[in-house]
Amino acid sequence: MVEEEKFFAWLDGELPADEAARVETEVAADPRSSQLAEDHRKMAAGLRGAFAKVEAQPVPERLAGIVSQERGKVVDLAEARERRLHRKPPSLWVQMGALAATLVVGIITGNLLTGGVPSPIGAEGGRLVASAELEDALYARLASMPADSGPRIGLTFRDKTGTICRTFKEQATSGLACREGGDWRIRNLYQPPEGQTSDYRMASGQDPQLMEAVEASIDGEPFDAEQERSAMEQGWR
Amino acid sequence: MTPSETFESELTQLLPRLRRFAFALSRNGADADDLAQATIERALRSRDQWQPGSRLDSWLYRIMRNLWIDTVRSRGRREKHEAPEDAAQDVGEDPREAMDASMELQRAMSAMERLPDEQREVVALILIEGFGYREVSEMLELPIGTVSSRLVRGRTALLEMLGGNADG
Repeated sequence: MVEEEKFFAWLDGELPADEAARVETEVAADPRSSQLAEDHRKMAAGLRGAFAKVEAQPVPERLAGIVSQERGKVVDLAEARERRLHRKPPSLWVQMGALAATLVVGIITGNLLTGGVPSPIGAEGGRLVASAELEDALYARLASMPADSGPRIGLTFRDKTGTICRTFKEQATSGLACREGGDWRIRNLYQPPEGQTSDYRMASGQDPQLMEAVEASIDGEPFDAEQERSAMEQGWR
Repeated sequence: MTPSETFESELTQLLPRLRRFAFALSRNGADADDLAQATIERALRSRDQWQPGSRLDSWLYRIMRNLWIDTVRSRGRREKHEAPEDAAQDVGEDPREAMDASMELQRAMSAMERLPDEQREVVALILIEGFGYREVSEMLELPIGTVSSRLVRGRTALLEMLGGNADG
């Protein structure tokens, strides 16, 4: 029997050609696997067929109308972007964009983080820790809570040492903080290169480096909503 | 065409697909169209945040998914998800349903709704919308291994509920 996730990756055409050919041979030689592949193909085709009916329906006027009404008040994308850039004063995070794309614990010194501006991170004993606002968000904010301002929490998980870690995002900057010694210690901090800042929650994708950092340290899977809530109630221990 | 007109034209072309995704996430058609409406409104308001050259569909799906998560969770819905075995019995297997397109959709939506939210979004994006694992991993900001394992659990539960063989 082919390993489950590999079997489905093959079924979905996600394996490189040589590996796919190997799995295909194994599946063909095993009647149970062949039947399972057929069942899943039929089920997925049935599911696509059922929802294809929605796609084939005419779009209701209440939806199509919103876009057509918008045509009356055309806003030039470049103009709108320009206005937005001038409207918002660059935050400390954006100013930090001049730094290298990846800032790792210890590289940032206290001097860099101060200068009279309240900073979401701070240095303590040569380590990078979350400052009050980020600390509050990491301590009391669930990923599901809408965050109209301030840091937004992404994934929560246990790393391979059993420590609870959470990813966060503040405008274009994202990072990974882990609960150590009663503090949230910043393990990784990422910022896209200058000029490529993208908006809060609207970015086209997560910083791939952050995902790599999560994949490298995670033990098992990220917490689901219930596990996250329960971990919060237990003080992230 | 100005960039703005291009944006609206592409958005209009994507509406049928966006609605399909909304139906896969929602409990019923009314909720689905509410979600689609909120997504279109948010997209139009935030259009300057979309980066031309990047995929508009992924950007829109991401907005929809975030709005859906906010709505579902703020509704305080904490339903205990039924075990696939029980759910399979609930959904039932009525041969007449196959004859009726809307019943077939209802049955598919009902099965999707029984999946935990985390599995439902992955199943919808990969099995129904046809995105690749990597694209979904980036869209949902999840490690690819998590996407893959949620997909396995979700589709396994769906197979129990919907069956793979036409005869059930």
